[in-house]
Amino acid sequence: MRQFLSFFLVSLISFCTLSTCAESPTSSADYHEQLVLRPLPLSALLASFNFRSNITVSEFEAHNFRLFPRSLAQILQHAGTRELHLRFSSGRWDSESWGARPWDGAREGGTGVELWAWLEAETDDEADHKWLTLTNALSGLFCASLNFIDGTRTTRPVMSFQPEGDHPSLTEANTHLLFGVLPHEVVCTENLTPFLKLLPCKGKAGIASLLDGHKLFDSSWQSMAVDVRPICPAGGECVLQIELTIDMVLDIDRSKRPRDNPIPRPPPGHELPCNTSKPYHSHDTCFPADHEASQDWTLSQIFGKHMKGTCPLTDPAVPPVCLQVPNSRSVYVSDGVLEKKNLDRVSRCFEIRPDANFEMVLPSPSKDDQQATSLIVKPEAPLLYAERSFTGHGQERGGVQTILRNPSSDTEVEFIYMESLPWFMRIYLHTMSARIQGTKGDDNSVIQEVYYRPGVDRARGSQLEVRMRIPPASTVFLTYDFEKSILRYTEYPPDANRGFDVAAAVITILNKDEPKTGRFAAYNLRTTSLLCSLPTPDFSMPYNVIIFTSTAIALAFGGMFNIMVRRFVAADEGPELGLKLLKTKLKSRFAALFKKFGVGKAKGDQTKEAEPQPAVTE
Amino acid sequence: MSTENPSPLPSSDAPPSGFKNPPPEKPSDIRRRGYVILSFWLIVALLGLPIWWKTTSIYRADLPLQEMLDWSDGKACRPVFPLRISIQANSLQDQEAQNLLRLTQHALDDLNDFAGHHLRLQLSPPVGDEPVRATDNGSALTIRLSPGEATTATLDPYEPILDITYPPNNIPSPTASSSALATYIASQLRSTFAEEQATISYLLSTNSMPSEHRPLGLSPESAESLAKRTTRSLKYAPTYHLTFSLFTSGPLPSSWDVEAAIEEYMKPVLDVLSPIHNFTIDTQVQLYAAPGVQNDLLYKQDLSSFINAAEWPLSPSIGGAPTINFIVFVGNQTIVTSPETESGGSQSWLIPQWGTVYLLAQPYDTTHVSVETLKQPMLTFTSHLFSLLGTPQSGSLPLRLSTLTRIRSADLLLRASSTLGSLARLALALPSISIPSSVADGVSKTMYHLRLACDTLGGADGLAHARVAEAEAERAFFEKSMVGQLFFPDEHKIAVYLPLLGPVAVPLIMGAINEFKAWRKRRRERAEKGAEKKKE
Repeated sequence: MRQFLSFFLVSLISFCTLSTCAESPTSSADYHEQLVLRPLPLSALLASFNFRSNITVSEFEAHNFRLFPRSLAQILQHAGTRELHLRFSSGRWDSESWGARPWDGAREGGTGVELWAWLEAETDDEADHKWLTLTNALSGLFCASLNFIDGTRTTRPVMSFQPEGDHPSLTEANTHLLFGVLPHEVVCTENLTPFLKLLPCKGKAGIASLLDGHKLFDSSWQSMAVDVRPICPAGGECVLQIELTIDMVLDIDRSKRPRDNPIPRPPPGHELPCNTSKPYHSHDTCFPADHEASQDWTLSQIFGKHMKGTCPLTDPAVPPVCLQVPNSRSVYVSDGVLEKKNLDRVSRCFEIRPDANFEMVLPSPSKDDQQATSLIVKPEAPLLYAERSFTGHGQERGGVQTILRNPSSDTEVEFIYMESLPWFMRIYLHTMSARIQGTKGDDNSVIQEVYYRPGVDRARGSQLEVRMRIPPASTVFLTYDFEKSILRYTEYPPDANRGFDVAAAVITILNKDEPKTGRFAAYNLRTTSLLCSLPTPDFSMPYNVIIFTSTAIALAFGGMFNIMVRRFVAADEGPELGLKLLKTKLKSRFAALFKKFGVGKAKGDQTKEAEPQPAVTE
Repeated sequence: MSTENPSPLPSSDAPPSGFKNPPPEKPSDIRRRGYVILSFWLIVALLGLPIWWKTTSIYRADLPLQEMLDWSDGKACRPVFPLRISIQANSLQDQEAQNLLRLTQHALDDLNDFAGHHLRLQLSPPVGDEPVRATDNGSALTIRLSPGEATTATLDPYEPILDITYPPNNIPSPTASSSALATYIASQLRSTFAEEQATISYLLSTNSMPSEHRPLGLSPESAESLAKRTTRSLKYAPTYHLTFSLFTSGPLPSSWDVEAAIEEYMKPVLDVLSPIHNFTIDTQVQLYAAPGVQNDLLYKQDLSSFINAAEWPLSPSIGGAPTINFIVFVGNQTIVTSPETESGGSQSWLIPQWGTVYLLAQPYDTTHVSVETLKQPMLTFTSHLFSLLGTPQSGSLPLRLSTLTRIRSADLLLRASSTLGSLARLALALPSISIPSSVADGVSKTMYHLRLACDTLGGADGLAHARVAEAEAERAFFEKSMVGQLFFPDEHKIAVYLPLLGPVAVPLIMGAINEFKAWRKRRRERAEKGAEKKKE
């Protein structure tokens, strides 16, 4: 991912050398936006949208908002928030094939919604109160269920996070970091619409005009991020910076499907991309060609619409669209667009006229190109692979296993593994162990430091932070067991049998040369979230209990009452009961009926009927 | 059924098919059975019912319902605004001044038909030429009499002072029963306070005050205009949040000198209003904001849908203060006020209880809106702010503001009273709603402050008390546990109770009925036996 950033710098520098460079790369320009497109293996395309605007602190305090969204600023001021990070994510980043994450994983969260913020407060209670205000207000602003981030879903991380901005006026004592996560939240269009409203040009011009809920939420992986942080340049006035980021991995084949006919159908035989080099290739056998071959698309195909010029407020020094493909590939663009290939030979940027629509075509490579080295930039390997899963069986106990793999052959990684678990998962901390596989590592040296804050039933979730070090080319299995507790009847959600989402574990790889670069984390990643099934009761239970106990009580009461009240007589002394009584009753009725109507008609019947009932005759 | 008689009565004929009568029961057994059934019923009635009642009853705090209804009916408080008006007549002798005052008061009393709004004159001690501050002696207005050539009256634009000049020969003689000058002063005073009087009497008349307190002379037209004005104004709040927004439908202009414009044109007015309201301000610029109506000519019916509420970020402030929106929309739309004049002169319109939109026509390539350009919009916003706050339209500014205080206190008082009434009616109408003690607390606080407000109406204290009363009444009415009362429908109750009570109640009731029948039969038999014995 360093490549990504270096490319960014290079692109800026190269641009500056070409044109009249009015401003330095870290310019004080108040707004800029950029879209970076990077084809990934397996016919995927990563699109990273980045919007960044600044407001000086004095204007922020005077409530004069120009590029900074007023609605968000009000919330920040009301809740005393100094730095805010909000993430909406869905899908899974396939790091095995896509490599390292965009922005070194710094602009993404686990599945669902993640929020962490530094609040200014004197006491913990005050911080909790402000946090409640903040989550409720953000919930309204982003149409998300952020108001469900209550005490049980909030933790105060100790090691995993460091503020990104400069906080000269704040001390440790009155800054509180709170972290809340909603793994169950489904991110959808209603979250994108308010997100776009925060942009100065809305979705009307510039790269934001490409954003469309249909495409964004159809992607294999997407992450929307809002970051607000104060930045104090040396010798200048502090500014509050809001950075809005959208990263999405589009499946090109799926995106190219026409909108009016979205049902996937197998292509006809002559359109199948076949690997013709196979010996058995013929007109009726086809070995599918490599997926990379299908990297041909146009911008409007994959996003469903054209890009409408550029936002007039954007910093002209930053090219709005960049594409990361090897320089050997040809790219066609619409008229009036200036293409600039960067010095790193794997990326190029486009200068766009403010009022013209922008279109870009990445043609399928010609036959000669296919023999060439690579058609797309080879993804860089991430610093760490992590996957987490449940172990064990039954509804009483379970276990969690996280497999952490260091792919590097020569450097070790040091990172902090953080879990914030719901209170109904009770960890047995003594069962936590790290087993190392691969190099001759020592199991005991893997876990460096553990911070554990046990959960409190119905009040607080458990928080586990582990600082670990993994030697090169080895895999660590981190396991621990837990007990599932039984919830109260009203605590179950309506879809209790689906299971309960457990938030993703946050892994922060520490930056070894932090003093030099000032960055705390070298790389961030999240595991997938888990679905924990708890013992679920039958929800008609209360009524069953009512009916059962009532029946038992009624039976006991009735028997007792009758014994006390009834008089006992011999069987032949009591009144006629049961069927016999019914029979005599019926007979007498019939007799009365016949007497009334059938006297003249059926004498024989009457005599026949009347004969065997002596009790009726008077 | 006379045809069947299977009961084994000893008096009947011989039973069929070997049916035997049981031996007669011992009287002690009969008595014991009676006791058993009685004791079961006693347990149910004395133990079961009270426990059930106790465990399922809902807590209802005692509310002074009658008093609350009295407040809402206007029986508890007669809103009276005693306005003291001091007369400053430095050039008159004390005797003459007293006489003039008496005559003027007479004239005023004759003119006045509304008891709630009473102007009382007083003579202020003659002081030097330095201006008298109206607030010094608690009077609402000072009349400064000075000799002149003709009878004129002018309101001082900066102080609550009415300057009246009179020709010296107009001074009434001590014995005169009427005087032209006194009548003139009285009519001037009356016209000065006419609007306030009308507004207050309108407020009273819309708030179910008993008819004897109601003023009589309120013409339908003036009532209509007052109704319009009151619906336009926002609910009273101690703090208002003002949001100034620049909207453009395209990419330009993207900046404006709003801070300087507010400082220059708006701030003085906000400072004047500061004793009554506090204001917080924020501003924003929004590009690419398409209005809800795309036409270039805006007719009256278009104005209500011009605000594109779905897309424009006009979310109210989150601090709890009501938000007033002032929007400058840069566009070339024109408002057509009447079908005849295609080029309407108006550029802005007021949205009741919400704010104002000002259409600012700017050249296509304007990137920055300057202070000068913002002057007219800001002045429009200022005047609209007054009507959004419910300030009366006539009179000098200090007078309008003091009138605003009185109107607001009356408004709050009436509002709090009617909230109390609604709460009382709610408590009466829903017998199953729980009333927590905090509501009773709130009600008693409200009534305490209402009483104080009623006693000090017209002054600053009155406003403060009315404010507290209104807030407490609202809090009591919107008590969370009362609104969110869990509601159990009757079917639900039956489903829970029936499985237990049905099987238990059937033997109990049947036992009681049987026992009652047997007792009646025994009594009849005894009576028959007695009769037979007598016959014998």
